[in-house]
Amino acid sequence: MKVELFYTPGCEKCADGKDALRATALELVPDLVWREVNVLEEIDYAVEVGVLTLPSIAIDGEVAFSSLPTCRQLRRELIRRNGKGA
Amino acid sequence: MTLTIGKIASLSDVTADTLRYYEREGLLRPAAKSEGGYRLYDRYTVRRVRFIKEAQHCGFTLAEIRQLLALRASDAACCRDVRRVALEKKLQLEAKIKAMLAMSKALDRLIKECTKENRSLDDCPILAALEK
Repeated sequence: MKVELFYTPGCEKCADGKDALRATALELVPDLVWREVNVLEEIDYAVEVGVLTLPSIAIDGEVAFSSLPTCRQLRRELIRRNGKGA
Repeated sequence: MTLTIGKIASLSDVTADTLRYYEREGLLRPAAKSEGGYRLYDRYTVRRVRFIKEAQHCGFTLAEIRQLLALRASDAACCRDVRRVALEKKLQLEAKIKAMLAMSKALDRLIKECTKENRSLDDCPILAALEK
């Protein structure tokens, strides 16, 4: 499973929440790939994934959150998707 | 110095109706009203109207322009906040372009399917494909 956080540099919202979100995701899915995507450097990729607002979170190449979720929301979504894949 | 709605309209190249519309949308506010009840604007209004027009030209909606104007007036905001709004707009425009290109390609396929110009409408492959 791959989780990507799309952000813009200097975004305080992103900086505040991302460490806790990453820890939550990795705790739940230890082999998960966590990637932080700077949209200024990878705008074409952000368009390809369908990111429309910042910050956003994509799971396995699909936008799952169009703003930063709480750790609980992310956890619930990861469990749902993990269950689907099982 | 205060200016009437007609003066603002001519200086910023919009109609008075547009200025009233901007006011209804919360983008503009007269500085005062004359004794006769006419709107009076300050000299910064022309700059503001030009800003609104330019932002509309770049594809920003009035709600987004409201957000930009609020950022412009906020002491707490800085350039990166505006950049984020601009970046989001670009992402939305690119998504629209992608969808329109896909539509254009789909139309290419349909147009290619239509090889006989004098077929009856019942046999038109374009109409048939759209009815699927």
